[in-house]
Amino acid sequence: MPEIGKAKIVIPARIAKGDVIRVQAIIQHPMDTGFFRDANANIIPPYFINNVVVAYGGTEVAQFVWTSGISRDPIVGFTLKADREAPLAVTWKDNKGGVYSTSVDIAFASS
Amino acid sequence: MEGLRRRNFLKLSALVTAALAGEGLTGWLRRLRAAALPVHGGEDPDPPNETVARLIHDCVGDREIKRGHVVLDMPDLAEDGRIVPVEINSDLPVAGDAYVKAVYLIVDFNPDPLVGAYHFSPANGPVALTTRIKMRRTSWIRAIVESSTGEVWADYKKVETTLNGCG
Repeated sequence: MPEIGKAKIVIPARIAKGDVIRVQAIIQHPMDTGFFRDANANIIPPYFINNVVVAYGGTEVAQFVWTSGISRDPIVGFTLKADREAPLAVTWKDNKGGVYSTSVDIAFASS
Repeated sequence: MEGLRRRNFLKLSALVTAALAGEGLTGWLRRLRAAALPVHGGEDPDPPNETVARLIHDCVGDREIKRGHVVLDMPDLAEDGRIVPVEINSDLPVAGDAYVKAVYLIVDFNPDPLVGAYHFSPANGPVALTTRIKMRRTSWIRAIVESSTGEVWADYKKVETTLNGCG
């Protein structure tokens, strides 16, 4: 069974100060549109993530507004200028009030 | 004469079989389509209906939408409408007050055409956005980029879909 809300952020293994890095954020979610029916012909109600907030060191740097047109288990890749060592947090919210959050620490390679 | 024609036919079928075996039917179809269509440019697609026109207006108002500074990369043919990869890149620089404020992703013939609105800040640097979307049927896709200076740039792509991913 998929675990709704299980999330992960992937960043490059080595980051130097000032790099523009590629961040990938993945979360498990059915993203039901409300247009499909189950095996008993009952409508599967809409259930999808509609808001994503990206915060870097506690400051909001990006916000995504989604509809159910985003695929199941949404994955989003975006850029970030890594100019300081700080946590990068992503928070997903769905239309049923679910809130899911995870974070990684942006740290610079020492050498 | 009869034999020659037969030989040609055999040669042709061997070629086709080899092509199919080599890259699969879809890859072969994609290649065929790519060869038949102009790669880029052409007319900007007009909004197909009032909903899409209003949506674009809600996003960027009356500002002129110019083509350029954005590349929307998607497959020509999406085998599965439930998972269609999208890549949007922009070469608009982040300098001073100028940065990419938002990227709007619109699928003309989806039940909810504005699939996603991505709001960024100068902290993001130049935009390189990837995601996966659903498509109901063959449609134009619009990637509209709004810069903080008020300019609006776009790229368009027509994607063929066989399997409905929206219900």
